[in-house]
Amino acid sequence: MRDHLKTKATAHEIAKAMSLTSVSIERMEEHKKDFIFDIEITTNRPDLMSVIGLAREAAAILPHNGHEAEFISPKITKPSPVKNNVSLEIISDDLLVNRMCAAVLDVTLKNSPEFISERLETSGIRSLNNIVDVTNYIMRTIGHTAHVFDYDRIKGHSITIREAKKGESITTLDGKSYILEGGDIIAVDKEGNIIDLLGIMGLENSVVTENTKRIVLFINNNNTHKMRQTSMRHNIRTEAVQMNEKGLDPELALEALYCGISLYEEIAEGQLMAPIIDIYPHKKSIENVTVSLSEIQRIMGIPLSLTESQKILNQLGFKTTVTKETLTAIVPSYRADDITIPEDLIEEVARVYGYHNLPSILPPVVSIDPVSIENDMFRWETRVKNALKYWGFTEVYTYPMVSEDMYEGPLESAVALSNPLGEEFVYMRRTLIPNLLKIVEDNRNVDTLHLFEIANIYEAREKDLPKEIRTLALVIKNKTKDYFDMKGVIEQLAQDCGINNLTFGTGGSTSLETRIYLGKNEIGRMEILDEHFINAEINFDLFLSHVSIKKTYTKLSKFPSVFEDITLIGNNKATHEVIVETIKNTSKLVRAVTLNSKFKDARTYHIEYQDKEKNLSSNDVKEIRENILSSLHKNLSLQEK
Amino acid sequence: MKQKLMTIKNHAVSLILDTKDAKELEQIKLQFLGKSGSLTQLMKEITTLAPEERKEIGVLINETKTILEEAITTALTKHTTVKKENLAQFDVTEPGKRPSLGHIHPVTQAIEEITSIFEKIGFSRVRHPEIEWDWYAFGALNFPDNHPARDDWETFFIKQEKDPKKGSVLLTPHTSSGQIREMEKGKFPIQMLNIAKTYRRQSDASHVPMFHQFETLFIGENISITHLKGVLDYFVKSYFGQDRVSRIRPYHFQFTEPSFETDVSCGVCKGKGCRLCKEGWLELGGAGMVHPNVLKNCGIDPTKYSGFASGWGVERVLAMKEGVNIDDVRLFYANRMEFLEQF
Repeated sequence: MRDHLKTKATAHEIAKAMSLTSVSIERMEEHKKDFIFDIEITTNRPDLMSVIGLAREAAAILPHNGHEAEFISPKITKPSPVKNNVSLEIISDDLLVNRMCAAVLDVTLKNSPEFISERLETSGIRSLNNIVDVTNYIMRTIGHTAHVFDYDRIKGHSITIREAKKGESITTLDGKSYILEGGDIIAVDKEGNIIDLLGIMGLENSVVTENTKRIVLFINNNNTHKMRQTSMRHNIRTEAVQMNEKGLDPELALEALYCGISLYEEIAEGQLMAPIIDIYPHKKSIENVTVSLSEIQRIMGIPLSLTESQKILNQLGFKTTVTKETLTAIVPSYRADDITIPEDLIEEVARVYGYHNLPSILPPVVSIDPVSIENDMFRWETRVKNALKYWGFTEVYTYPMVSEDMYEGPLESAVALSNPLGEEFVYMRRTLIPNLLKIVEDNRNVDTLHLFEIANIYEAREKDLPKEIRTLALVIKNKTKDYFDMKGVIEQLAQDCGINNLTFGTGGSTSLETRIYLGKNEIGRMEILDEHFINAEINFDLFLSHVSIKKTYTKLSKFPSVFEDITLIGNNKATHEVIVETIKNTSKLVRAVTLNSKFKDARTYHIEYQDKEKNLSSNDVKEIRENILSSLHKNLSLQEK
Repeated sequence: MKQKLMTIKNHAVSLILDTKDAKELEQIKLQFLGKSGSLTQLMKEITTLAPEERKEIGVLINETKTILEEAITTALTKHTTVKKENLAQFDVTEPGKRPSLGHIHPVTQAIEEITSIFEKIGFSRVRHPEIEWDWYAFGALNFPDNHPARDDWETFFIKQEKDPKKGSVLLTPHTSSGQIREMEKGKFPIQMLNIAKTYRRQSDASHVPMFHQFETLFIGENISITHLKGVLDYFVKSYFGQDRVSRIRPYHFQFTEPSFETDVSCGVCKGKGCRLCKEGWLELGGAGMVHPNVLKNCGIDPTKYSGFASGWGVERVLAMKEGVNIDDVRLFYANRMEFLEQF
């Protein structure tokens, strides 16, 4: 880089300044007396994918970091006149290629001199021979990709650029064959043989061999979208294509060609054999961008002057003029794609000024909407998750994309991916349960599992985004737990969230599948897979729409309650729910009824009596009790044991 | 009678307080509450009262009885604690009987922490669609039509007919779609915290097809880079610790201008540079000043309002926390109990 940058700054100082204000120097590695920089270059800065580009940038930013620096432009010499004239015909297509420069040279193939091979090798490119190395050396120094053909292997000495048709096949220089899908930019010779996959990789049938005597140096500036399409489709990710897909400056193409010719003359006894070809139908227009002082100051948050802004932009290669309130900058060609609006100029000024030199201030709180704790669904979700955690459940996260096997429901109405990543992730799930069961299976060696997940399930909708339904799923696998443990968890969650109208009913002929209702709405299901292996799934959106933080206080009673147990037998079909209702309906003095124990056919209920007005005498209780028993007998054929 | 009751109560309480061991206490208990104890005797006398007095005295006697019983229990606890030598010997190193305790997934834990940190400075959490129109995920965010992120090999698309205006349907590749959803509402200032699942077509040790991002958006009048730095510093110090520092440096994103990469000083080498970091810094994620085209796409006048946004990975900040250092991000979603039980 010091070929093009005059500065006393050390490599470390340069790296630090570049990382803070330009591109990130990820790592530095010492090599002899030099340092190798590993640089992450963002897609908007292909101008920095070269030694010259980096030197120019460094020269602009170093003075703002306390180091004098000067950029030394490359000496590009126009090639000497042509001696022997051979023909080369190129037919380009301006929709595919922006600019095309080519030269025919007579050369001697041999090893590269050390200054070239060493620089290539340390920057990660294998040195092959002087002919190929020059193309890579151009790429590293100038920053434009280059290719070289064996002139004598091009039939008819003619190159035509066109789009590939579907099904055409090629063999790249590394010996791999590809069948093209069409739309790729290719070059064909007079006989129609495909001889190059432009901007991506050379082909076996036209590349330089050890017998090569004459070459075509070929610089093409291509349609970036096509570059990426072909490269991604066939997974050919050469360094060249990674540069080409970002968009290189076509103004560099001729410079790159001249540079290559000079190098061939210097290291390969190169002699130009034909007039230079330069096809550049739509020359890049020169753009200028204007930014106001107030915009610069508003975005940067400091009172920076226009003079200072102008100084920075000039150092970066912009040509600027200022008025009292505005600054206009002519964008250099190598930044044309990146700098188009005032904010782009602000970014240039701000980064070189140094983001690290800007103060750090918390934004003022101007106004905030009042909050509603009751409607804060995130808060409820946290509450539910914490409750489950303290009841022994472990939260899991699973992928919402599932395989066909894991998908439940008709596939034709599924929300499906059009470009899935393998068969594992094809459909957006309709239920979380299969994922949880999969975890149980994956953790076979664990005896006891209490799992839950809260995530979305998806339902396709006509001409609209799929409906996303937040869902809570639970699984219990535990030898000491059963259906009623799971049911208890759900009841308790409801209780904790202020929901008091939760009911359960059987889904079909058996109790293996239970439906859970909130009022009249079904909000979920429970399923018994095995006596000690139960799952449940609840529409969490619906559940949350019923939650409440309201609490009602009833005056504490002055008179003590009286408790007694009644054991009932005689009718197994009478459900708990009906029994409790019947008991409660008998008298207002029945305060609570709970099922205390079950033994074979006998159910023992614990009943609490209370009168808010007076102490209950044993006679009072006896009377209610008799009423209860007679009502149970009459309505449900139950009797006391 | 009332007077008598009061005397008994006071006498009993003072005796109870004076006791020195459980044995003495037992005697006092007998003296007052036993079969022939003075309070029990008094209760029998109730029948000699006029009926209208009976109820009142009955309640009073019951109250006194409760007070004495409580005093005895308290005194008994005291004596028992003092008399340690009377306790049986047992192995205190045996495990206690613990109530059940599960685990909250580390991602949820990180989300909770992040939420608390941002809520304190006025950001509110929001939730937007995970399956989104192209317009929200790319179009309005200033992505050109042929941008690589819109490629089939980077973003998951849903088999569904394109909407003439909003484009194709996809799985949100970033939380930035939430920016558009918030800005569309047209209410200012906006202080959004969008934490959600995001999807990219990738799978290896450092990439999973589903992960989580947290996105901030602040739109108001005269919001500048200095404010973004303020929020970043506040977050870094709150989440990673007081001794960590942050920085922003140039980067490139379609929907911000200027764009930044944000870094946190390495917690292991304290910024000196080590194997785990890049010259003393760890990358946190992207940020920037909202691009004027994005504001315009949401019907906002960029000359009046400006703002910043940041989008960082939940798993990433989690893995960067000291002591966590998870080297394979797939572990978060492999759901092995051995892993989850560590959190």
